[in-house]
Amino acid sequence: LPAGGVSLRPCSTRATLEGINKPVIDRIIRVDHAGEYGANRIYAGQMAVLGRSSVGPIIQQMWNQEKYHLKKFNELMVAYRVRPTVLLPFWNVAGFVLGAGSALLGKKGAMACTVAVEESISDHYNSQIRTLMEEDPEKYKELLQIIKQFRDDEREHHDIGLECDAETAPAYSVLKTAIQLGCKAAIFLSERI
Amino acid sequence: KMAAAVAGNLRRAGWRLWRGRAVVRCQLYSPQRALQASAVLRRVSDEQKEPLASSSQQQFDSHPTDHQPEQKPPGPRPSYTGQGGQESEDYESEEQLQHRILTAALEFVPEHGWTAEAIAEGAKTLGLSVAAAGMFHSDGSELILHFVSQCNTKLSELLEQEQKLVQLGKAEKKSTDQFLRDAVEARLRMLIPYIEKWPQALSILLLPHNIPSSLNLLTSMIDDIWQYAGDQSTDFNWYTRRAVLTGIYNTTELVMMQDSSPDFEDTWRFLENRVADAMNMSDTANQVQSTGEAVVQGLMGAAVTVSNAETSRAVR
Repeated sequence: LPAGGVSLRPCSTRATLEGINKPVIDRIIRVDHAGEYGANRIYAGQMAVLGRSSVGPIIQQMWNQEKYHLKKFNELMVAYRVRPTVLLPFWNVAGFVLGAGSALLGKKGAMACTVAVEESISDHYNSQIRTLMEEDPEKYKELLQIIKQFRDDEREHHDIGLECDAETAPAYSVLKTAIQLGCKAAIFLSERI
Repeated sequence: KMAAAVAGNLRRAGWRLWRGRAVVRCQLYSPQRALQASAVLRRVSDEQKEPLASSSQQQFDSHPTDHQPEQKPPGPRPSYTGQGGQESEDYESEEQLQHRILTAALEFVPEHGWTAEAIAEGAKTLGLSVAAAGMFHSDGSELILHFVSQCNTKLSELLEQEQKLVQLGKAEKKSTDQFLRDAVEARLRMLIPYIEKWPQALSILLLPHNIPSSLNLLTSMIDDIWQYAGDQSTDFNWYTRRAVLTGIYNTTELVMMQDSSPDFEDTWRFLENRVADAMNMSDTANQVQSTGEAVVQGLMGAAVTVSNAETSRAVR
């Protein structure tokens, strides 16, 4: 029950919750929140190693966008009364280790990691957009807008990674496959736990 | 002789109801059948009043043939001259009927406990047959879960109203610990009329087949309280806060079972102490964290100083 620094604004969220498919929305917001949280930690890890190198500013810029994404999902989580995934502390450490580890392979390694993760995330956002469109595009208009915007941002990060010679990284295909497998597992778990 | 015939009818009707209900439960039934089921219950209860032994038997036998699987619109209300209030009942689902019976049964819990007897008495006050108790488990699970669910709804409404008053500026915003204390106290006070039989209820709620439902009700109640307390955490604190409050609620509930002080003042004092402990714990946790961070920074500073000293010595 941390006392300091928590704004306790009373918010009546009944209006937002009327008539929505709670289980589906719950999962979507929980996993997206976990994803943005993990992405934040990955970029933090990369910055810790490559912050003073030539790609530092690029990574910093991408990181700032992820920070904005996370902030948005924090707000959505409160608005829709969604439970965060219990694995957050784990993603905290795993994300940082992945970011720092890939950065230790060099700038190209870091970019390869970015490409892999951002590709996973944009595919994942696409399938969520499909799900919401199938449910009811009108009812979930705001959420759809946000996810579409974020999907475009992640695609942009993916393209930036490619531009920075990610594909010439050591063991690129192995690295990419391994990271994407990890992302799939993370998505599966965060949706449920 | 008439009474014996009527009683015989009731027994047979009760048995058919039981079987009919079992059949109905096994299939995905349309509301149509639920309506017929409740209508049957009413007719059977009518038979208690009107000694039409032979004709009632015919009425009842005609029902099984009415069970047709075609899609009919919610049929015409069974027209019968039941007791006063019953006529105005509109089409009612089986679930609504069950809720009414269980709510009526609560009145008899202090006397009969959380049992099928209480449910039967409740059904009687609604003018239904005591066989209606056959719709429920014999251990009183549904009655207890219904009661808990009702209490939680009442708590939510209470908290919603309080929040409105604060938003309109008509009431002071409470501090977190005061809010939690009041919310838990309000919720526990709802147990007072049933306090004698509540230990029995608690043990039934712990039965394996009830645990999913009772856990669900508990967690949603705790989540509600935190929601109105203004919790907006989106990290692991979300879990810590709910776990702590659940612990406070459960222990206070147990203390209440054994409290014999006037108006349970010992319980409320216990609650106050536990909430204060929790607030202290969180303050301590914060302090530990900031101390830890300061220590780490100190060590880093020392390491940098030492390495600088080494390099400058090496240079010399």
